[in-house]
Amino acid sequence: MLCQNCKKNEATTHIKRVINGEATESHLCSSCAQNSGYRDLFDDFSFNLPGIFSSFFGDTALALGESRLDRCEKCGCCFDDIIKTGIVGCADCYEKFYNKLLPSIQRIHGKAKHSGKVPPVHGEEITVKEKTVEEKIADLEADMQKAVAEQNFERAAIIRDEIKKMKGEN
Amino acid sequence: MNKDNNSSVMSDVVLSTRIRLARNLKSYPFPARLDREEKKAVCSLITEALADEKLIYTDMETLSASEAVSLAEKHLISAEFASNGTGRSLLLSENEDVSLMLCEEDHIRIQIIEPGLSLEEAYRKADRLDTVIENKLTYAFDERIGYLTQCPTDLGTGMRASVLLHLPALSRKGVVRNLTTTVAKLGLTLRGSYGEDGEILGDIYQLSNQVTLGISEKAALQNLNSIAMQIVTQEKQARAALIKDEDFMDLIFRSYGILKSAYKLTSKELTNLISYVRLGAAEGLFDIPAEKLSALTTELQPATMNTQSQTPLTRSQRDIKRAEKVREALG
Repeated sequence: MLCQNCKKNEATTHIKRVINGEATESHLCSSCAQNSGYRDLFDDFSFNLPGIFSSFFGDTALALGESRLDRCEKCGCCFDDIIKTGIVGCADCYEKFYNKLLPSIQRIHGKAKHSGKVPPVHGEEITVKEKTVEEKIADLEADMQKAVAEQNFERAAIIRDEIKKMKGEN
Repeated sequence: MNKDNNSSVMSDVVLSTRIRLARNLKSYPFPARLDREEKKAVCSLITEALADEKLIYTDMETLSASEAVSLAEKHLISAEFASNGTGRSLLLSENEDVSLMLCEEDHIRIQIIEPGLSLEEAYRKADRLDTVIENKLTYAFDERIGYLTQCPTDLGTGMRASVLLHLPALSRKGVVRNLTTTVAKLGLTLRGSYGEDGEILGDIYQLSNQVTLGISEKAALQNLNSIAMQIVTQEKQARAALIKDEDFMDLIFRSYGILKSAYKLTSKELTNLISYVRLGAAEGLFDIPAEKLSALTTELQPATMNTQSQTPLTRSQRDIKRAEKVREALG
C-alpha cells in the first residue's frame, strides 16, 4: 500500500497508537515516518517538541494553501503559522481554527473531551466517570468469564488479548 | 490513592515528585506572540494575583548566566527558561518547593517539587495556587479541550506529573527499554533524566503522564502512582538479586572508596558513583542518609558551584573543589 502521508512511496512502517483506549493506525513510508518523529519506535516520539506537533498535520497542511489569508483577529496568527511552528498564537486561535486543529489534537490525545478541573467562571468540575487501568482490566476479566460461560470462545480470546495489551504484555 | 505508609521504602527508589500546571491568561496572546513589554505586563498581573503568597520575585533579566543555569540544575526552572530571560519572571518559595515560571512556554507554569513519592500532596499545593490565580484572573479555557496552552500537547488539564526514579538494578538488568514501551501503552513516559545529549546519568529516570486531555488530574495521578509503585517493587526485587552478586558488591564498595578519597571528580563521575553509593545505602551497606546524597548531587553541579564561589572557577578547579566537598560530606 502507498504511504498515507506522501501517497508516493510504498508504506513500510505501520504505526499503531493507543491513547485513552482509542487506537489510531497509520501506514507510512520510511522517510515520512522519520519526518514524523518515528525514528526509533522504542524512543518516545511525542515529547513536547513543537516540530513534532507540526509534523502531525501532514496531509492537512498541503490542502491549505489559502490559509495564509485567514488570520486570527486577536494575534494575527494564521493556520500556516501554527503548522510551521507547532504552536498556537492565542486562546482565540483555538476557537477560530478549531475544526482545522481538531484532527491533530485527536492524533495526540485521542478522541477525548476535557475532563477534570474547570475555572470557576465555567462552572463545576467536569467529571466523566473514569476507570483506572486496574478497574478496566477487572471489567474485561469479568466479560471474559461471561463469554467463556456462554461458550463464546472467540469473543473470550479477543478479550484476553485486550487484557494482555492493557497489562502491557506482548 | 494509596497513602504511602512505607514511604521510606519508596524513597529508596523514588527521589522526588513534581507537578507542573500550564496556564494562560485569556486576554493576552501566548508568550511566543508577545514582545518584552507585554510579557512584563503579564508577569506583573500574575505576580500581583499571588501577592499574599510569600513568594520571592525574580526578574530573569537581572540574573547572570550562572545564576540562571544553577536554577535549571536544581530543576526549579527549565533549561529554555534559563537560556533567555527577556521579559520573564520567576516566583519561588523560600524552601524552593514552589516555583512559577512566568512567560515561559505558557504565561504560567506552576511547579511543585516534593521529596519522595507524594503526588497527592504536590498536586494539592499546585491546585491551591492555581485556584488563587483563577479567582483573580481569567484563564484561557475551552469546555471541549480544557485549559488552552501554546503547545497543543498540553491541552486539557495542562498537568504534567512526574516522579524521579533511581533504577540502577533495572538498568543493569537491561529492562528499562522494555519498561519504557510498556508504560507508553498506559499513557505514561519513562525517560532518562539528568543526562546531557540524551545520555542517562546515574540511572535516574523520570516517569510522567503523557496524555493531558480526556483524563482528569485525579485519574492521571492515580495511574502514575500505581505504575510508579509497580516499578519500585520490580526495582526492589532486582536489587535483592543484584546485591548477591560479588562483583556488583565490589563495584558499590569501590564507588564509595573513590568518592571518599578522590582528589578530582567531574560532575558526571560524581553522578554515576553516587548512583551506586545510593543503592548501597538503601540496601543498608553504608550509613548515609539519602538526602545527603541528593544534596551533594544538586549542589555540586557546575553552575551551582560557580554561583557559590567568589571568583569564577575553571573546570579543573571545580573538579578539585567538588572532590573536596564530597570527602568532607562522606567523612
